[in-house]
Order: sequence, then structure tokens, then C-alpha cells
Amino acid sequence: MTAPMLELRDVVRAFPVRDALGRSKGAVRAVDGVSLSVPRGSVLAIVGESGCGKSTLGRLALRLIEPDSGQILFEGEDLRSLSPAALRARRRDMQLIFQDPFASLDPRMTVEQAVAEPLRLHGIVPRAKERDRVAELLSRVGLRPELARRWPHEFSGGQRQRIAIARALASGPRLIVGDEPVSALDVSVQAQVINLLQDLIRELGLTFVLISHDLGVVRHIADRVAVMYLGRIVEEGPTAEVFSNPKHPYTRALLAAVPGQGHTKGAAALLEGDAPSPIDPPSGCRFRTRCPHAEAICAAQIPPLADHGHRAACHRQAELPPAAARHERDAGGERLKRLQAFFSDQRTGE
Amino acid sequence: MSTTVATKAPPLERGQSPARRAVRRFLRHKLAVAGLVVVLSFILIAALAPWIAPYDPIATSWSNIRKPPSALHWFGTDENGRDVLSRLIWGARASLMAGVISVLGAVLIGVPIGLLAGLAGGWVDATISRIADAMLSVPFLILAIALAAFLGPALENAMIAIAITASPVFVRLARGMALDAKSTDWVEASRALGNPPWRIAFVHVLPNIIPPLLVQSTLAIAEAIIAEASLSFLGLGQQPPAPSWGSMLNSAQRFLDGAPWLAIAPGAAIFIVVLAFNLVGDGLRDALDPRADRR
Repeated sequence: MTAPMLELRDVVRAFPVRDALGRSKGAVRAVDGVSLSVPRGSVLAIVGESGCGKSTLGRLALRLIEPDSGQILFEGEDLRSLSPAALRARRRDMQLIFQDPFASLDPRMTVEQAVAEPLRLHGIVPRAKERDRVAELLSRVGLRPELARRWPHEFSGGQRQRIAIARALASGPRLIVGDEPVSALDVSVQAQVINLLQDLIRELGLTFVLISHDLGVVRHIADRVAVMYLGRIVEEGPTAEVFSNPKHPYTRALLAAVPGQGHTKGAAALLEGDAPSPIDPPSGCRFRTRCPHAEAICAAQIPPLADHGHRAACHRQAELPPAAARHERDAGGERLKRLQAFFSDQRTGE
Repeated sequence: MSTTVATKAPPLERGQSPARRAVRRFLRHKLAVAGLVVVLSFILIAALAPWIAPYDPIATSWSNIRKPPSALHWFGTDENGRDVLSRLIWGARASLMAGVISVLGAVLIGVPIGLLAGLAGGWVDATISRIADAMLSVPFLILAIALAAFLGPALENAMIAIAITASPVFVRLARGMALDAKSTDWVEASRALGNPPWRIAFVHVLPNIIPPLLVQSTLAIAEAIIAEASLSFLGLGQQPPAPSWGSMLNSAQRFLDGAPWLAIAPGAAIFIVVLAFNLVGDGLRDALDPRADRR
């Protein structure tokens, strides 16, 4: 079997926290031992509350931030072993789409200059064909090529995000990380950009890592979901499976917080308060301070990501009542139903 | 669906660049435009000095010593019978050159070093910043005088001294702006695209920090003109008999009672040019305000 497009092995990154005098006050373990695998051509969503480390994880995956430890394998090759020059050359294969399209475009570059930059950096098309290629890319993301000579400030948020997508596509990447690519946009524009991304993923066979807190979007386009809490992955599995049969109390709470998702408050109480400080996270299971099911073991031991149908890091996942029982069906699609049927058969067979 | 999103512009219409928008905002600023006109006229006067100066600025005339302003000598004559207006016109060369060239020097020294400090970070930044702080802790003029005295009295040396003395301000400014820019998404995006560090510094960061550098430069020119006048006043800049506003003030101080016009003319010239540069600087600061340019 070929190597997955992207594989993270036990990746750790902590940011030192200093007081006003520059003395170290400890560290925020933004990403604390994350292992993930993203198969070629799939869409993985990373979800979680703000501050859980999902954006840091996305940047670690592209080695835009250096990890403290762990491995980042891109098509089987450890990105950490690459020299700076080799890494820059490799960047044509992996790109990032930012959350805020008002900040991600250089205000002093025209659309044409911005989209042509990766073409030039990686010598993708001869100079003579550059203009044609830019026009092609712009029309591919739904912008009229006539706008190429304009400056970013002349566009709306949705248009700017399309420019950023065109720029990310220019070098012909195989992996794209989207860091909340639509959450800064107007709701009316979000759906258009999501559809565009979905079309591009399908047509270009892209592997996509979607960082999002919008579970509706995630459910719509992701093949797999990883749920993060305070720097760790607490649950990971096929999207339909995680949504219909969440194992981890945190995932259940997240799903319960989504309107129209069908989980009742009885199944998983809504989260209260804020996540604990990542400088001084709780011992054992990091979610235990907000978990309605916490017991002594949860404070004593870090729960492993155990495989029960899909991976979840909870000591008590086997004992908790299944959430799926109370799950009311909404627009989930055929595949979801098949999967649900498959997993419920398996459970009764045991 | 997606092709209907952008329908505003006629084919291949050129957008309005941030620079053009800044020019438009600058032109709305009346005082700044007035300042710019004054600055440009002084530059013109300095450039055309050989043709517009009525007399030879260093030709002495023993029959015309310390004559008050008259139809023949509009600004009077000095203690050696030289025409003050002609010396003022020629002196504009020394003053403006000292102002512009030394600030240019300060920018060329300070900005690359500041960019390096801001973008490289770590011990590079710490070392550069401490040296800049140390230089800034000495009063501007004291440091300039010390350097000029060390290099020897000459206009070129005064300019070098001013350039070196003014450079830490640009180091600090460029470093701070580079630090700011480093945390923006578009600089991270340029890294994600595979830009080498030098390209990030000069293609993405530098053009975006030009506005504050330009503002600082115009204000620094005003300061450098005063510094040159001070150095010349102390005998460390322009050497006699060549005229400069500072050296004219220097020789005028002995005759303040009997011939005040000797001091008033160069003093007023310095005052007007410095004020004009400051007005231009203020206008540029408003016109280049990044908040006005964001959207």
C-alpha cells in the first residue's frame, strides 16, 4: 500500500509563556502528542473549540511551525529531515488557505502578481504563458480573468477568498490545509466557497485537511473527523460514524450544541464554562473537569485513543450509553445509513 | 453559479494601486501640499544656484561690508562684503544635500539591518537592538559632533556623521515594522508558497513598511538639516569660504547688534525648510495611514 498523503506521529509543540520580565512561566502545550493519518484523496476535518490547538496542528502539518518532537510524513517523507531549500521546493505540493481573506493577501500585490508568484517561484510555466495560466486559475475559482490587474482592497471577502484559493492551487499542490476557510465569510457566501472547495477536491483529486469549528460544514464535506480538546485528539473516525455514534463525552457535547443535530440534552449535557488553561491542563483525561461521567480513573490516567469502531480517548467509553440510540435521523445520506446499519449489526453480534 | 460572482468591472480595467490612493489623500491635505511646494522650490533654487544667484557667493568686496538690505543686495552683505542672498542660494545646496543624502545614507544603513533583526529574531535581533539602543541613548547632536570631529571638518564628513547618527532610528523602525509584518497572514502565506527569506524581506515585507519609512525620512531630513547647520555653526561642516546656512549663522553671531540681517536670512531659511519638511511628513503620515489602506 502506498504511504498516506500526510501522516503525523506523536507530534508535540509547546509555546513558552513568559511574564513581563521575560522569565519563563511554563508552556502552552498547544499540540500534545497528536498522531493522524490522512489517506490520499480524502478530506479530514479537525474540529474543536477555539484554542484547542487545531490551527497550530494545521501549520505543524505543513512545517510552517517547527514541532518540538514527533514526525511529519508527507507522502512518506519526513518533512523535518528536509533542508530549508528542499522544504521550500516541496511547498509546491502542499498549500494553506487562511481564515481571513482580508489579511492573507499582500495588499501591495495585484491579483495577477499574487497568483503568479507560486508559478514563478517553482518555475511551473514559462513567463510567456504565465498570464494565460493566471487567467485559467481565476476562472477556475469563479473570478473573471479581467480582474487580474486589480488590488485586493477592491474585492469583497468572498472574492478575496477565491483569489487566495487560486493562489493556493497555482503550484498544483496535492495537499491543501484549509484553516477555517469560510468562517470569516458572510453566511451567504460560505456555501458558495464550500461548494467551490468541494468541486476542486473532487476534480483535482486533492487531499484536504479542513480545520473548522462548523460541524455542519464538516459533515458536508469531510470523509473523516478528528476531534481535538486541549492539544489532544479525543476522537477520530469516519465522519458519518463519529456524527451518528460519538463515543467521547466531549464529542457528544459538541454535537449536542449544534442546533438541529438531534442529540438531546439528556444524552450529553451541554458544556459549561471555558476549557481549562492549557498552561496547566488537568491530569489524566484533560476533559474530566467538564465531563459529566468523570470518575477517579479519569484523573489518574491519560486515556489512550482506543479503537472501538473508531478511535476515542475515554476510559469509560464502553460503559457509556450509546448516543446513537437517541439519534434522530436528518439529512445524512445513504452512506451514513449503511454505516449505521453496519455498526449496529456488529454490536448485536458480539 | 460561480461565474456570476464578479460582474462589476469592465474588461481588464486597471485597479487603483495603494500608492495612487495615497497620492489622492495627500493632495487633499492643503498644508502638506504647501510644504511640498516650498520643498520643491528650495530644491529648484539649489539646483539652479549658478544661474539664479545674483553674485558670486565667495567674491569679497571691501567697499560693501555689512551693508543692510538694499535694491542691489536684497538681503544685505556680510562681514566680507559678500552678497547674503547669493550665499543663501548656494548654501541651500549644502543644506539640502546634507539633509537628503545623509538621510538616504541612514535609510540604506538602517533599514536592511532592521529588517534582518526583525525577521531573523533570536540573538541576531538582540545584538542589533542593543547596539541601536546604545546609539540612541546618546543625544543625537552629541554623537554627530563626536563622529564629525573624529572624521575631520568637511561637509562630506558631516554628512557621514549625520547618516550614522540617524540610522538607529531606522533600524528600530524597520525592525518593529518587520516584526509586525512577520505575524501577518500574508507573510506566512508567502512562506507557505515557498518564498526564500530574502524574497519575503524585500518583496513582501519591505513594500509594506515603506509608508512609515517615508514619513520618518521626511521628518529625519528636517532634523538632518538642523544637524548640518549645527555642525557647520561649530565649524565641523561646510568649510569657509563655501557657504552653508549653519556657517552663515556662525559668522553672523558676532554682528547680531549691528547687522541682524546676517542672522535673520539663514535662520529664516532653515526655519522655513524644516517646517516645510515637517508639514510634508505629517501629510504623508495621514495619506499613508495603513488603516485607510486596509480595505
